[in-house]
Amino acid sequence: MFEATELSFTYPSGRVGLVDVSLRGDPGDRVVVMGPNGSGKSTLLRLVSTELRCRAGSLTLFGEGSAAPLPSLRRRIGIVQDTPVHVEDLTGLENGLLFAELYGVSRAVAARAIETLFISLGLDDALLVPTKEFSYGMNKKLLIAEALVHDPEMLILDEPALGLDPPSRAALIRILEERSASGVCTLVATNEPALAQELATTVVLLHEGKVVALGSPAELLAKVGRATRIEVHVTGSSTSPVLAELPADILSIQRLPGRIVAESESGPDVLPQLVRAVLAEGLKIERIELREPDLTDVYALFTGQTMGSEKT
Amino acid sequence: MTLVVWRTEWLTALRRRRLFLLNTLIPLAFVAGIALSPAPAVHSAAVFTVLFTLFGTFGSSIPLIRDGESGLLRRYILTGVHPGSFLFQHIFATAALDLVQLTPSILVLAVSRGSSAAQLTMVVPAMVLGMIAANALGTLTAALAKSVAEGALFSAVAALVLLHWSGAFRTPAPGTWQAVLEAWSPFRPLHESLLAAAGAGGPDFDPALIALPIGATLAVLLLIAAAGRHAAGLGGR
Repeated sequence: MFEATELSFTYPSGRVGLVDVSLRGDPGDRVVVMGPNGSGKSTLLRLVSTELRCRAGSLTLFGEGSAAPLPSLRRRIGIVQDTPVHVEDLTGLENGLLFAELYGVSRAVAARAIETLFISLGLDDALLVPTKEFSYGMNKKLLIAEALVHDPEMLILDEPALGLDPPSRAALIRILEERSASGVCTLVATNEPALAQELATTVVLLHEGKVVALGSPAELLAKVGRATRIEVHVTGSSTSPVLAELPADILSIQRLPGRIVAESESGPDVLPQLVRAVLAEGLKIERIELREPDLTDVYALFTGQTMGSEKT
Repeated sequence: MTLVVWRTEWLTALRRRRLFLLNTLIPLAFVAGIALSPAPAVHSAAVFTVLFTLFGTFGSSIPLIRDGESGLLRRYILTGVHPGSFLFQHIFATAALDLVQLTPSILVLAVSRGSSAAQLTMVVPAMVLGMIAANALGTLTAALAKSVAEGALFSAVAALVLLHWSGAFRTPAPGTWQAVLEAWSPFRPLHESLLAAAGAGGPDFDPALIALPIGATLAVLLLIAAAGRHAAGLGGR
């Protein structure tokens, strides 16, 4: 479906978008790209969607190189951009029909397809409502319906679940899995580790435009082990050695700005000892979070930075 | 492809009823004020020509720039619609809307100045050509503009320069390059016909007057088709 080979992109301002990215997606694949803001996710999606011109490296779509006519390639792709924009004076149905017809779908076929998609996404009561009255989430759902209405062979989605309520999010994942089962290749950019783990067949972690890790969610998560992450959010400062008397079950401990992050093999059992040690340092605890390792930990492992870009 | 862009332009224009009404009434108020006054035909025709031309260029360029800024234009083009086809439909739809909105103004002009049927016969094709040319010009300036403010500036300057070359403000001396340009200007038939309708007398329907400007307008439309990708603001691959 798509294959990028040593793909690089620099914006006219000089900002580096991508550096030597090699990546492919085959029929049925769900490739999820993760990384912090500015890591190159949207640049990659804009290149694959043909919005940006590929200037360094190569990119083939549906086996076609750069000489292929753009309109015919674009009709085979469905795109969900991060910002949902519509013709505000038209209703949800009219907007759906507009994009379906632009994709070359007949009005009669499109009307049926849109109605089905609206029902799947829980938007059927908004068919005849002008989109200027839509909420952000409703606009996002309409955008998703418009991207699917022409049964594209490839889907490109930038933060598709952003703004969706839990039932709509579940519906989106179900629809994407169904399309994938019928051979559609999906390329998704997200900052949401749960979505990536739930949806991806392949996860790509981008850092400063470069691929730092690539594999299935299971393969990548195996690299960080199964230890529980305990984040103790603190105020105050301490100059004494960090948590001198650690419980034996704590595998590692890191001090980040405003928090202490520990890894525990025995889950929350170590919590009382950890709390005592933190308090003994004179720090004030604001809150404590426990979570299982996710793809943000894989990112931190490979880059030494969190998704929020703080140095560890 | 069906005429989906044409249909959408009409649908949105008719939904924005207040704007549609204002676009009809404001030119009407201008035209009526001048047409009903004792203003000489030569001055009246110059004002009408400027008004109608700017109405066309602004009406085409500003929505296009606004759609470009919002990302809607990018969405349209990424569906695979050919940019040239998209822009053609946009130009012809907005030109047709302009004609509908300006019809009351023309009728008031004709009635108040006692234009003959022959003069009105000339006004109709001249208005059609003038509005298509003005909307095409608006589309071209939209491709160059990076904001609505720039678009308004470019549209106004480009239209006024072309109107000057069309003889709306001053008749060029025969044999000069300005006279050659005037013969090709799509706004010349508009000016000449409005001049006649405003009471100066003059040409009934004259195919020679309109043939060269039609050629010039077709050339501009071909240029837009060729430059469609750039006008849509997308780099492609």
